[in-house]
Amino acid sequence: MVTNGAGLDCVEIVNKCQTKGGRLDVVDHVGKDLEQFGDNKDRLRCLFDLVLSGHLKEVAWKGFVRPMPAMLGNDGQSLDLLKLFLIVREIGGYELVSKEGLWAFVVKELGLGFQVSASVKLIYAKYLFELEKWLRRNYGDREEDNACGGNFSFLKLEQEEEFRGLFANGVGREGVVNKVALMEFRKHKKFIGKDSKNGLEVSDANSGFRLHDGVGKARGDDAGNECKKEFNTRKRKRKSLSEMLSWIMLVAKCPDDPSVQEILEPSKWIDHGGDEFWIQAIRAREALRQKRNGHSVIEQSPLQTNQKMHPSMYEDDFLNSHFTKRLRCSERLTRSNSCSCSHCGSSSTLDSQLTCLHRTHSEFGPKELSSIAIDLSSLDTSMTVEPYGDDSFRRQVAIGPLFQAEVPEWTGSVSDSDSKWLGTRQWPLNGGKHDLLPVTDPIGSKRPISCSCQIPGSVECIRFHIAEKRMKLKLELGSLFYHWRFDGMGEEVSLRWTAEEEKRFKHMVQSESSSLNAFWSRASKFFPEKTRQDLVSYYFNVFLIQRRSYQNRVTPKSIDSDDDESEFGCLSDSFGSYSLKVPGSNTLTCSQNNQCIDLE
Amino acid sequence: MEDFAGGASLPSGPDGKKRRVTYFYEPTIGDYYYGQGHPMKPHRIRMAHNLIVHYSLHRRMEINRPFPAGPADIRRFHTEDYVDFLNSVSPDSTSDPTFSRHSKRFNVGEDCPVFDGIFGFCQASAGGSLGAAVKLNRGDADIAINWAGGLHHAKKSEASGFCYVNDIVLGILELLKFHRRVLYVDIDVHHGDGVEEAFYTTDRVMTVSFHKFGDFFPGTGHIRDVGVGNGKYYALNVPLNDGMDDESFRGLFRPIIQKVMEVYQPDAVVLQCGADSLSGDRLGCFNLSVKGHADCLRFLRSFNVPLMVLGGGGYTIRNVARCWCYETAVAVGVEPDNKLPYNEYYEYFGPDYTLHVEVGNMENLNAPRDMEKIRNMLLEQLSRLSHAPSVPFQTTPSTIQPPEEAEEDMDERPKPRIWNGDDYESDPEDVEKPLRRFSSSDVIQPATDVDMKEVSQDFKEVKAEKQSSS
Repeated sequence: MVTNGAGLDCVEIVNKCQTKGGRLDVVDHVGKDLEQFGDNKDRLRCLFDLVLSGHLKEVAWKGFVRPMPAMLGNDGQSLDLLKLFLIVREIGGYELVSKEGLWAFVVKELGLGFQVSASVKLIYAKYLFELEKWLRRNYGDREEDNACGGNFSFLKLEQEEEFRGLFANGVGREGVVNKVALMEFRKHKKFIGKDSKNGLEVSDANSGFRLHDGVGKARGDDAGNECKKEFNTRKRKRKSLSEMLSWIMLVAKCPDDPSVQEILEPSKWIDHGGDEFWIQAIRAREALRQKRNGHSVIEQSPLQTNQKMHPSMYEDDFLNSHFTKRLRCSERLTRSNSCSCSHCGSSSTLDSQLTCLHRTHSEFGPKELSSIAIDLSSLDTSMTVEPYGDDSFRRQVAIGPLFQAEVPEWTGSVSDSDSKWLGTRQWPLNGGKHDLLPVTDPIGSKRPISCSCQIPGSVECIRFHIAEKRMKLKLELGSLFYHWRFDGMGEEVSLRWTAEEEKRFKHMVQSESSSLNAFWSRASKFFPEKTRQDLVSYYFNVFLIQRRSYQNRVTPKSIDSDDDESEFGCLSDSFGSYSLKVPGSNTLTCSQNNQCIDLE
Repeated sequence: MEDFAGGASLPSGPDGKKRRVTYFYEPTIGDYYYGQGHPMKPHRIRMAHNLIVHYSLHRRMEINRPFPAGPADIRRFHTEDYVDFLNSVSPDSTSDPTFSRHSKRFNVGEDCPVFDGIFGFCQASAGGSLGAAVKLNRGDADIAINWAGGLHHAKKSEASGFCYVNDIVLGILELLKFHRRVLYVDIDVHHGDGVEEAFYTTDRVMTVSFHKFGDFFPGTGHIRDVGVGNGKYYALNVPLNDGMDDESFRGLFRPIIQKVMEVYQPDAVVLQCGADSLSGDRLGCFNLSVKGHADCLRFLRSFNVPLMVLGGGGYTIRNVARCWCYETAVAVGVEPDNKLPYNEYYEYFGPDYTLHVEVGNMENLNAPRDMEKIRNMLLEQLSRLSHAPSVPFQTTPSTIQPPEEAEEDMDERPKPRIWNGDDYESDPEDVEKPLRRFSSSDVIQPATDVDMKEVSQDFKEVKAEKQSSS
């Protein structure tokens, strides 16, 4: 259904475009008109652009405008979508590229710097992934035999053949992808991947941390397979050390490669704040050198070794202070890394140093550090781990005036405690002594087992009882009800939203759920009249509650209140109360809500 | 003997007695937002408050809105540069050229993002813990709760692990004005590194942390990290593995804390109740039930020492709300009905809509043998605290079981009443009696080793008596 719609849409676009705005209803003309384009490549490009814009238009119809041309990140670099599409397609599609971590390769093939690989991936996901899926759906099982072909059923047979021919012969023949380089890259990736199975996940500082998310989730009531998903999406956010390593290999192999960025002269290294691969590599080298010199330091008293540099040192002598300060994190790690590791061999020392380096120059919190650190130490499989943990896991506590609180000696004399800290007493009301306050109406202590609602347990039934309970609470608390912001709790918040706004919010969350931080910045554009606080409040008080009430009734085995990144899966257009709406229950909902307003 | 019916209770009075509870709540706390996809959600504190009120627990407490801690107050622990940075930074300033340098220096960025109102959030969290400390200092409350506090990773001049301002350290510093020794107990699944580091070299604060260790944030908390200088042996770390369940946890917590209370004799206790040690937490890896978690509070409460109860981690928010609501009930001394009352966030707690949920069926990787080893090692470490000159110290029995009294204590304690909404029955003994706390005359605590010895010998005698009688 979607296919047909989109197909027609695209054809229409094709027609429109070819007549430069004029309307041409005869589809047959498409093929003919295509011929007016020069060589195959151009034809393919044109057709591709048309199909894509048709597709994007369809997406836009849902309310998500994808601007053309696609821009990369902040620099406003435009991206050749066709080339991107062909490269990814030839490698094997979005999922494969993501799975094998080939985005860096794709970016290289596009002739861009590695630092934009995340943006490229995002653009692919936003602009082209749907198209890819859509195409795949069309030619079904032949996909595997024919790595670059397409079946555009909405086109006439000869057009389809031509388009497929263009894919297969036009560009495909020349080969968009440097096959040798891809093989090299894959081999290298495999190497890293192998390591990571042994715990050497230096490549992604976050993964360990996120893995724990996964573990927790899998064990809990949340769907276990989500951890994998999140694991992947999160990975995208980080620049990884493995990329730096592959960069070094790349430079070693082909120093003239255009993707090798300019390297600043040494005098500027120290001040360089960026995180390009070359500066990472230089820092790694520096770390190794420091390490060698630093060996003698290790045996000093803990007081000395743990001394952090004064913070002001960061400003002037960036590299040195960092290395000195962080060296302690590597000491124990290196010890554990003297293990033999057949496939990484002599590189293990380097890796452990890189860990230190990574920590040093990363903006990542230590929460991630530990996972790297431990991943490294767990390399040593021969190590017998004591129940209380091996020394290799150990991170020293920093000692010095920069770390400890100033604790005065106990003199026996009591200094004053400022009574301002008691804050504002809000309960008991009217300054009564709370111990003596009569506790009469036992609301909240018991929830009635049954109710007289039409459909007990339905969303409407529960909303009704919640509203009832709120009324009682309001009577008890009086103005405190508002001071505690109970008026801003629960689905009542939605009363300040129009139905149209709510619908827009749902659409936005559903489609943007995978795009990480883009969501809230987009949200404020979509809802210029709402403050960010309004949006957050709506999210927790209305949206999540509706999502949860859906889960409670439809997927009670898989409930999740906390993963706001995962796809919303089955929650398509009809979710929450909408999917459960009982005919004729509208009035109940309304009256219930009105009751609350009346009281205010 | 009767005094010891409470088992863990110090001689000041039996357990089961009503406590005066003060609870700090900042009504805007739920509106702070770390950013999309960030597991830390202040909304959980609002959910907990909502449950607390719908269970009518507020009627048994005093509830205060905290006074926001100012930059100068926060500087009592944190460095000036860092506080200034926190006070001035906003999401807009992330484009500022100096920001990247500062963000590295103060470790702000990915884990600890700069969000809207970041400083206000820190002020509310710290203000609540300071308020709780003052409340205890003044003797106005026996238990003071601040669920917005407990941010135990924050360092003196560095943010860490979702924490920016260490409200715990600030609260303890305030407690130290009136109390000679403060015990800090941390049951968050993560090591309480910020608090441990802050008090690593002093014996006026003893830190005890139960946490997952190995392949886990923040990487500190090794069993052999015991403190330095004056603080040597005044830091205690209990490293645990995945799948820790109620029984194993209790088997460590009770004997260790019992011993700590005996030898350290704190004048006030701070309990960090990080709820990420609960089963099914998004970031944690333990398998505790809400009741198992709250047992720690129940046990500490039984000692009748001024007690500050703080929040902390907890990333499956519906369970965080359950846990903190239940622990509030434990603090005020009632047993709430398992069926949740209707409340605004009712649907979050489906499909069961109960206060307690089944724990997951994950494997407990903590072998009993290992647990015993850890227990013995730590009890041995604790015994060194009494190794002051001229104080002979009895070696601890080789097979250490949770103290018998503790078990009896549980049995003999008045059965948890299913609270029917009636006012808490006032037994004669419930009539407000001053707890063991300071008045101006006894502020100077006898704290010589001789006194410590005497007390611990008293304990031993009682123990011996018990053993011979049983």
